[in-house]
Amino acid sequence: MELEEVSKSYGNHLVLKNINLDFQRGKVTVLVGPSGSGKSTILRSLNLLETPESGKCLFDDLIIDFTKGVNKKELAYVRQKTGMVFQSYNLFPHFSVLGNIIEGPTQVLKLDKKTAIENAKKILKKIGLESKINNYPEELSGGQAQRVAIARSLAMNPEYILLDEPTSALDPELELEVLQVLLQLARDGQSMVIVTHNMSFAQQVADKIVFVEDGDIIYDGEPEPFFKNNKNLRITKFLSSMVLK
Amino acid sequence: MWEIISKALPQILEAGFKYTVPLTLISFFFGIILALFTALIRLTKNNGFFIVIKLFFRFYVWLFRSTPLLVQLFIVYFGLPYLKIKGIAPDGIKLDAFIAGVITFSLNTGAYASETIRAAISSVPRGQWEAAFSIGMTRKQTLKRIILPQALRVSVPPLANSFISLVKDTSLAASITIVEMFEVSQQIAAENYQPLLMYSLVAAVYAVFCTILSWGQGKLESRLGVKSNMKGSDN
Ligand SMILES: Nc1ncnc2c1ncn2[C@@H]1O[C@H](COP(=O)(O)OP(=O)(O)O)[C@@H](O)[C@H]1O
Ligand SMILES: [Mg+2]
Repeated sequence: MELEEVSKSYGNHLVLKNINLDFQRGKVTVLVGPSGSGKSTILRSLNLLETPESGKCLFDDLIIDFTKGVNKKELAYVRQKTGMVFQSYNLFPHFSVLGNIIEGPTQVLKLDKKTAIENAKKILKKIGLESKINNYPEELSGGQAQRVAIARSLAMNPEYILLDEPTSALDPELELEVLQVLLQLARDGQSMVIVTHNMSFAQQVADKIVFVEDGDIIYDGEPEPFFKNNKNLRITKFLSSMVLK
Repeated sequence: MWEIISKALPQILEAGFKYTVPLTLISFFFGIILALFTALIRLTKNNGFFIVIKLFFRFYVWLFRSTPLLVQLFIVYFGLPYLKIKGIAPDGIKLDAFIAGVITFSLNTGAYASETIRAAISSVPRGQWEAAFSIGMTRKQTLKRIILPQALRVSVPPLANSFISLVKDTSLAASITIVEMFEVSQQIAAENYQPLLMYSLVAAVYAVFCTILSWGQGKLESRLGVKSNMKGSDN
């Protein structure tokens, strides 16, 4: 999955400035950077929740040219290949945990309900939430809700899971249970793109770090040199501000 | 006094079940369908010829919300017979009083309820749309499976209010010759010279009808879980 010379603006505010990025299969890419730098916009563009004005999105053989707009077929393809996990979970409040997870498989993939339920149970077991299968979102803790949101995304079997600050709304002890699930997924070889402010988690999970500032990619590479002995003043400043927090 | 009441009450109730109740139910049914349709049209994206259709529905809602219901009834029942259209209705549009009532009450309910439903749909957080899109659901699927069920829960209380108002508003149908409850009470009062008693009696019957409906509304709300809050869905 690749973004090529992608630009996006809101009004006359340019929030992505001709960026190039590639996301490897089976790897975890972590996006870091100050608030408002454009990290969410990058993720949302990958899921086509936003459409950049120019540039290309490459997905295997599919090439979407944003200047030409996105057609329904491309939209369906990309949404099938990527799944989004939001900071605020966005679970469907009128469905149970199970209902949330099987909604996509039954409605979009047209799986029969029995298969979808079996699948959902497997995923819930993996994330340790079998006991909550019949609960409603409002009965879950934040950490549980976010794990269900991850399960909902997993149930669609996306190639890439995109996570936008998945633990920013959580208390530290609840954050941990979500991070553990993500670490497990990473070990299982699930491709992910994660936006996070948790630097120790980023360091631990990332195969690649991307530092975004003001719509530009300032760093794109190995985690090791990013966190240790970084010579870039803006990055060291950012990192030290994260530690002080 | 009890003798007068026991003579009048059956007649009023009969009119109630023969006209007031059917007029209310049928009009509300069509009104809600019209409202849902109108709300959905008005929430579509502005593309091409939809703009014209949207403008038309916006005009309809404006028209029925800015004119008195009584005047609307008069126009449809007494006015339309004078609307002579060559080829289609050369002698004007003459409607049966009951039909004219149903049409007017449906259009009126539809206009108000469409605003309720539109507001309810807009009140569902954007994150719900995005979550549905990101698991690959289309706009139509999202609307049907995710947005409308949540919006309808939110709109039950205000729609129930509209329904109760409609019960009382059907008394206006008396003015277009429909012999619903209020008309019957007027007729009886003219015979027995007991206007205070007769109008109080019909008021009591309306109150009983509305109270039963409010009670039903409460039941419906608790069944749909209207009061339970829905968290974790804001952006
Ligand atoms: N819907 C929007 N309308 C206008 N401006 C927006 C919108 N979404 C984001 N922005 C702006 O775009 C910039 C990048 O936002 P975002 O991608 O959310 O940054 P990040 O996720 O890194 O905090 C910010 O300046 C933000 O104010
Ligand atoms: Mg963000």
